[in-house]
Amino acid sequence: MNTSFDDIEQKIGKLLASYLESSGHPELEAHGEITGATNLVSDFTMDSFQVMEFLMELEESFDIMIDMNSLANAHTVGDLAKVVSELLDE
Amino acid sequence: MALLEKFEAAARIREQLSAGGHDPTQVVIDRIISPTEGMVEGRHTILAGTNNYLGLTFDPACIGAARKAIEEQGTGTTGSRMANGSFAAHAALERELADFFQMPYGMVFSTGYAANLGTLTALLKPGDTVLLDADAHASLYDGCQMSGADIFRFRHNDVSSLEKRLQRLGERAKDCLIVTEGLYSVLGDCAPLVEMVKLKKQYGAYLLVDEAHSLGVYGEHGCGVAEAQGVMADVDFIVGTFSKSLGAMGGFCASPHAELELIRYVSRPFIFTASSSPSIIASTHEALRQIKSRPELRETLWRNANRLYEGFKSLGFEVGPDVSPVVAVRLGEKEVALPFWNGLLEKGVYTNLMIPPASPDRHSYIRCSVSAAHTAEQVESIIDTFASLKNLM
Repeated sequence: MNTSFDDIEQKIGKLLASYLESSGHPELEAHGEITGATNLVSDFTMDSFQVMEFLMELEESFDIMIDMNSLANAHTVGDLAKVVSELLDE
Repeated sequence: MALLEKFEAAARIREQLSAGGHDPTQVVIDRIISPTEGMVEGRHTILAGTNNYLGLTFDPACIGAARKAIEEQGTGTTGSRMANGSFAAHAALERELADFFQMPYGMVFSTGYAANLGTLTALLKPGDTVLLDADAHASLYDGCQMSGADIFRFRHNDVSSLEKRLQRLGERAKDCLIVTEGLYSVLGDCAPLVEMVKLKKQYGAYLLVDEAHSLGVYGEHGCGVAEAQGVMADVDFIVGTFSKSLGAMGGFCASPHAELELIRYVSRPFIFTASSSPSIIASTHEALRQIKSRPELRETLWRNANRLYEGFKSLGFEVGPDVSPVVAVRLGEKEVALPFWNGLLEKGVYTNLMIPPASPDRHSYIRCSVSAAHTAEQVESIIDTFASLKNLM
C-alpha cells in the first residue's frame, strides 16, 4: 500500500471535520486545525454513538473493517491513523 | 483518575436528566394496579412504556401457576443449575421452549441479559469472528466483547453492509456468527431475516437472532420475527427473554445444534448464578401456553399498535418506519424531548425517553410500547395527551 501514514492521518482529519460539521459541533471552529493529537472525545465532546458512527464512515472511506477490540486505546486522530495504517498494510 | 472521581460524569448526566423535573431513569411506580395502570406521585397513570406486550403480568392462570409453584416448591432454588438448582420445572420449560420454536434443544437462563452473555461467551472465543448489527442491544455487544472474538459491526438492518463484510472476511466468513435482533426496541423496525439467512447460507456462517421484543408478538404462533418471515428453521440460535411478553424474568436460547447442550458446561453466566425461582418458571411456562392458545391476544395488541401509530401519524408526529407494538416518536433535540416526556408523566402517561447516546441516531425519541391489555380508551388517552403537548415542539 502506497498511502503514507501522514496521508492517512490527514484524510482522517478531513473526514472528522466533515463529520463534526454535519453533526453540529460548534467547538470545531474554535479548535482550529485537526492534527494527529486531536482527541475525539475530549476536544469535541463526541459521545459514544458519534464515535461509533464516525468509525463506520472511516471503514467505508478506507474500504476496511475495524475490529472493535482494536479501538480500546485509540483516542486521537493519530491513534486511529495507526489502526487504519496497519489494516491497509495487511 | 481517583477511584470515585469517575462518577462526576454520571453526576452530570443525572443533573441533565433531572432538569425537566423528573429523572426518567428513576421513576417509581408507587402502586401497580394492572398491566397498564399504576399510581405515580399520587397520579393515576397509564403505563405506555413497560414492554408488557400481552399484558400477562396479571393473567389469572399465570398468577395461579406461580402461586401453586411457590406453595409446592418454595420461594427459591438456592443454587445454580449445575448444582442443586435444576428442578423438574426448569427442564420441562426448556423442553417446552424447544418445542415452541420447533427446535430440538432449549436452554433457560436466569435473565435475558444472562442469556445473551451466556450464549455468546460460550459460542465465541478469541480468534472467532462476529458480525454485529450496529444498533444491537447492549447485552449482545457485551457478550461479543467479553468473548474476546473479533467484532465487526454492519450498518443497522443493512444487508449490503453485511454482505460487504462477509466478502471482505474471505475464508473467515465461513463459521463467523451474524448477530441481530428480530424487532428493534427503540424504533420498532424488524431485521430483514430472509436476506440475512440467504447470506449466512451462501457464506457458511451462523445466525443468532434475539427475539426479546418479538416473542409472542410476531408470527402465526407468536414465535417472533423469524417465524413471521418464514425462516425460523434456518436460524441457528434464537435467544430472548421472559421479561416482556411472558411477563416474568429470565432468558432462553433455542437451537437446532446439539452443542447447545454442551454450552451448559462452559457458559459462565449460566454456571455461576442461581437458577430462576419456581414461581418464575411456573408463570413463564403458563404464559407460553397462553401465547399458544390465545391468538386473540396478538390480534388485540396489533389493533392497539395500529391505532397508536396512526393516531400519532395523523397528528403530524414523526414515527418509526413500520407499525409495531413499539411506537417511537422522534422529537429531535433532547431540549424538546425532556420537557415533553415530563409533560406526559405529569399528565398521567408513562413512556420511555431515549436521548443520545442511548438512542440509535442523533435524535431524541419518546418511546411507547403497546399492550394487548390497553383498552381502546387508554390508547385514545395516550394519543390525546401527546396532542396536548405538541406546543412544546
